[in-house]
Amino acid sequence: MGGIISTYTFWTLWLFVHLILALGLLGAITHQAMAVALPARKPAAGIVTRFRSVPAAGYATAVCVLYVLTFFLGSFIYTHYRIAVRIPLEVGHYYKTGGFFDFKEHVSTLGLVLLPAYWFFWKNAQQPEYDNARKGVTIVLAVTVWFLFIVGHVLNNTRGFGS
Amino acid sequence: MSTIATQPASAPASSRRFKAFATTFSISGPVVYCLTVYFNVALFTYWPADGRFAWGSGAANTTDGPNMLWYGWTITTVLIASALGLVATIVPERITKKIPLWLVWLLPILAIPYVVYALMFWWTLAARG
Repeated sequence: MGGIISTYTFWTLWLFVHLILALGLLGAITHQAMAVALPARKPAAGIVTRFRSVPAAGYATAVCVLYVLTFFLGSFIYTHYRIAVRIPLEVGHYYKTGGFFDFKEHVSTLGLVLLPAYWFFWKNAQQPEYDNARKGVTIVLAVTVWFLFIVGHVLNNTRGFGS
Repeated sequence: MSTIATQPASAPASSRRFKAFATTFSISGPVVYCLTVYFNVALFTYWPADGRFAWGSGAANTTDGPNMLWYGWTITTVLIASALGLVATIVPERITKKIPLWLVWLLPILAIPYVVYALMFWWTLAARG
């Protein structure tokens, strides 16, 4: 890294940025999924109702941008993972952990290809004909993002920050 | 109190052609990805140990170390799904409007069992300890 920062610090910083983007994405898509799955019918009273009462359509572009940024950054970090993390996992016989990371990579691509239709359905939120499709795709995308986050978190605990 | 904004969509977002492209891309994407993984059709392979790229699906070897096919599978999927989406934009609307929109969220769910199956070598190793 040209002597400015160590290789370890370089990858740690990118992993941290990946985490921050993932947290933003998780928050946005969870708000939206709650808004479509359990729409608030009366003015927000408690914290849970307010959580469901967000103007969900306004999140669509942000979700797409955050997903793509998180995806590309994760893809970049993946090159380091393949050598510095996966090989030690195999040597240590952590096969389920390694398998779940590969599962995560497949699921991330399946989520990526959902984005054009997801964005279209939300940008046409005033059209009732798209209500069911919008609800379905938003919930699937939210489950996808939560799965990616949890697997990434467990992987990080196995061999991430500080390892 | 509605939580869904009712603003009219912008011109590109509400166009018939964009709808055809977006829904076709998202419906075909999971199917194309599963086929790409099954037939191992990667546009390129990357070997991270020495930073080497090569067209097509390459194997791990003692010179270059472990291979990475996922980038190639993903790009292949995006290109094929984009091509199918572009074809859908020139197909008459009376045909494209018959495509069930629930396929957009159902097909990624249906792809999961295959993806788990495709990772069988990991689960087999885990079962052996």
